Amino acid sequence: MKIGVYICECGSNIAGTVDTEKVAQSAEPLPKVAVSRVYRYACSEPGQNLITQDIEELGLDRVIVAACSPSMHEPTFRALLREKGLNPYLLEMVNIREQCSWVHSDKDQATDKAISLLTSAILRNTLMKPLTPKKVGVINKALVIGGGIAGIQSALDLAEVGYQTYLVEKTPSIGGKMAQLDKTFPTLDCSACILSPKMVDVGRHPNITLLANSEVIEVDGYVGNFNVKIRKKATYVDPVKCTLCDECVPVCPVIVHDEYNADLSPRRAIYIPFPQAVPATYIIDEEACLGIDPLICAKCRDVCGPDAIDFDMKPEIIEEEFGAIIVATGYEPYPIENIGEYGYGTIHNVISGLEFERIISASGPTDGVVRRPSDGKVPKTVVFIHCAGSRDPAKHLPYCSKVCCMYSTKHALQYRHLVHDGTAVNFYIDIRTAGKDFEEFYQRAAEEDGVIYIKGKVSELIEDGDQVLVRGVNTLTSETVEMHADLVVLATGLIPSEGTRQIAKMLKLPVDSTGFIREAHPKLKPVDTVISGVFLAGTASGPKDIPETVSHASGAASRASTILAQKELEIEATIANVNEILCRGCGMCVDSCPYSAIELVAKNSFGHTIKVASVNEALCKGCGTCSATCLNGAINHLGYTDSQILAQIQALGGK
Amino acid sequence: MVDQKQLIKTAKEIVSREDVKYIVGYKQGTYGFVTSPAFAYTPEDVESFIYNPLCKKNLAVYPILEEKLPLKRGEEEDKRKIGLVVKGCDSRALVQIIQEKGLVREDLVIIGIPCKGVIDLKKIEKRFPNQTEVVDVEENDNSEYIIKIGDTVHTIPKEELLSEVCKSCEFPNPPLYDFLMGEEVEVREKEVYSGLRGLDETPIEERWAYWEKHFQNCIRCYACREACPLCYCKTCMADMLDPQWIRRSVNLSENTAWNIMRAFHLAGRCISCGECESVCPANIPLMELNKKLEKDVKEMFKYTAGLDTEEKTLFGTFNPDDPNEFIM
Repeated sequence: MKIGVYICECGSNIAGTVDTEKVAQSAEPLPKVAVSRVYRYACSEPGQNLITQDIEELGLDRVIVAACSPSMHEPTFRALLREKGLNPYLLEMVNIREQCSWVHSDKDQATDKAISLLTSAILRNTLMKPLTPKKVGVINKALVIGGGIAGIQSALDLAEVGYQTYLVEKTPSIGGKMAQLDKTFPTLDCSACILSPKMVDVGRHPNITLLANSEVIEVDGYVGNFNVKIRKKATYVDPVKCTLCDECVPVCPVIVHDEYNADLSPRRAIYIPFPQAVPATYIIDEEACLGIDPLICAKCRDVCGPDAIDFDMKPEIIEEEFGAIIVATGYEPYPIENIGEYGYGTIHNVISGLEFERIISASGPTDGVVRRPSDGKVPKTVVFIHCAGSRDPAKHLPYCSKVCCMYSTKHALQYRHLVHDGTAVNFYIDIRTAGKDFEEFYQRAAEEDGVIYIKGKVSELIEDGDQVLVRGVNTLTSETVEMHADLVVLATGLIPSEGTRQIAKMLKLPVDSTGFIREAHPKLKPVDTVISGVFLAGTASGPKDIPETVSHASGAASRASTILAQKELEIEATIANVNEILCRGCGMCVDSCPYSAIELVAKNSFGHTIKVASVNEALCKGCGTCSATCLNGAINHLGYTDSQILAQIQALGGK
Repeated sequence: MVDQKQLIKTAKEIVSREDVKYIVGYKQGTYGFVTSPAFAYTPEDVESFIYNPLCKKNLAVYPILEEKLPLKRGEEEDKRKIGLVVKGCDSRALVQIIQEKGLVREDLVIIGIPCKGVIDLKKIEKRFPNQTEVVDVEENDNSEYIIKIGDTVHTIPKEELLSEVCKSCEFPNPPLYDFLMGEEVEVREKEVYSGLRGLDETPIEERWAYWEKHFQNCIRCYACREACPLCYCKTCMADMLDPQWIRRSVNLSENTAWNIMRAFHLAGRCISCGECESVCPANIPLMELNKKLEKDVKEMFKYTAGLDTEEKTLFGTFNPDDPNEFIM
């Protein structure tokens, strides 16, 4: 055994705080160390050549690089070892940058710590055994969960590359929140006009299987081989026979709120979600219908010419295998009824941003005329309150939802276009216009379209006759502001949708403190999750506007392709390993495994049947929870065995 | 008081069954206050069964200890059940082992005893030292023990001899049994375990000194491990050589490592039978460690060991939201 030790200076990143020469010298007398060197940038081509040369000339078989975090350059050096015919798992990275030079200022102490870390790594490395990663096959099919603009974009991109893609949408139509928007900032494009071609493409694409009105109920398996169960709810209308004639709707006796119009208009129990819906078919709302029973009411079936209504339709369970999964489950607005001082739900003329969006929409409940929902009057003064529930860590959401400044500006501007003698007032904390053409859009609203902006927070809203008394403060003039408004629109923030929360739980994806799904790395892996083969598209990972969502979704499709394009995948070799002689079959590891990677299997022990734990190598992520749980150390973690860790501890403790 | 006749009658019926291999109960020991486990393979064997407040030993250790010899080719596994006489805590030990899949419920026939508490052998031996003759002990209705030694009858208040763990016992009735000997006993509001009183006010240094004093005396006989129904790993970490977690040498450092390791391995698993402490020849108050962990587990994870065979083990319930204030 010959170990080569390389201390990287990383320019002054490490050498500025750590005496690298001293660290290198400390390794020289240690057992099995053949050479110990310092280099300015170990990751550079000459740096790598230095190691290659030593492997060739000195016959090194193990390499230790004391440099940055293994998450940065471990792959680089592992590849180097592999190229030289050495087992890549005999490489050891010692993080003397993030864990040492960057977090300390005292050079002597930082050097001592670097020496301790290096010594422990060398002692550990002497106990390392070569590991061989296993390979698994890949199913070249993708699953996209969520049919909003993110899911649509991901599905289209994957389908264009040539992968069979399933798009699963919970509601009866794809389109998501974007389908409910009237216009999009800052260009004022008609939202439906730019979205519907993509929706139609999804419906037509030969590589896309669209499962609307469906939910993912179970996900098993691992990267390249996910087993997914999808429940397709019954629509009670045969989409092939239905001619969209609309005869069934007027006869339906049940009237409920129309969720597409933010509950501001009625619809029947048999309905089409909205005119551009894909798949374009009527469906029966199970919960609202008098009972899906022709004995109670069959008015729709009686008038249906093509005989498309089938009360006997049953939900289906579809089981499919996928190689990659894209989670595009999106957001929902923050429940503003939580904001007591704004009285949403009790004060008549206080509405949400999404409700206002529908009111100004040409396809909305008022056919594009701005009328307030309470009495149908055209409001002459509208107050828009930004950050309703956002940027309020004490009581509501701590974060900025990114889109509210712009959508409120858009609302105010659209209102001024529709009601020429109306007054639009925006109360804001800050105006955040960090996006292409956003600042210009805001300037245009304020300067050309006469939208009034008041910097300050509204402290309370009080119902006053058919108006709302708005009390707040103008923080620029330090004066209190009081005004009467005919309508108040609350710009609500974005929170993870119920679907996002469910899917995160089902797939065991870690979430941020805000509930949005956490990316594998916030900067360098913004569409990956910690679970390989599962990717994020759109607002499931945090608030985004439409262009950002679309590029995020294309990114996710591209990342998913890197898996789908493989014939087989190598799985990490540093995983759990059971010592069957020690295992007593208690199954605590089975229950504690966050990835359901362990099961108990029956074994014959001298004629007696015993149970022992068995690790599914493809599912195991090597987190080590099982090793920590096992009472007598019957599960070890390859590459981090108990002996190796004890050797490290000894090195760290023994001065 | 448990009706001994009913116990023997039930045990005889059980042991006569074809599907039962043997039944473990208590019999009179050979000297003093000690009772012995009795293994009855036939109804005649059952005649020796007794039950009195000296029956402290937790018999739940035996089904796990049973040696399974290699079978000859073609030989069938002996699938017969094992009968056991259990008190509340012993029954909880079985529940816990079943949760951990160490035993299968169907392989056991359980005779449950509603327990009024058992005598601390160390206390009674201190009171009547060097007793060699067999002693008969009964509990009367006035919470007193009637102790007959030779021709002398002593009446001693129960409180004075009762095991400390019994004083804070919340589950005197077996949660799991097939036959219950007598009516369930009433569960009263229980006092805090004596060893935990005032613990929060005791400074850490003082606590550490207290334990060093006790661990100093440990002779590493592992009697605590052998008596414990939940210490049943095939190979104990204390016996491993690669890696060697604990060195063989008997000194404060290694003794401390052993006792702390054992206590942590029982966190969320200990059912407070107190066997470890009662068998300890060095008189280490081991139940103070176990009770402290039991209390912490209950407060932090809302978990009590050994109550429901269907429940998951504490270590087995991984939850990212688990409290983690102890991580610095």
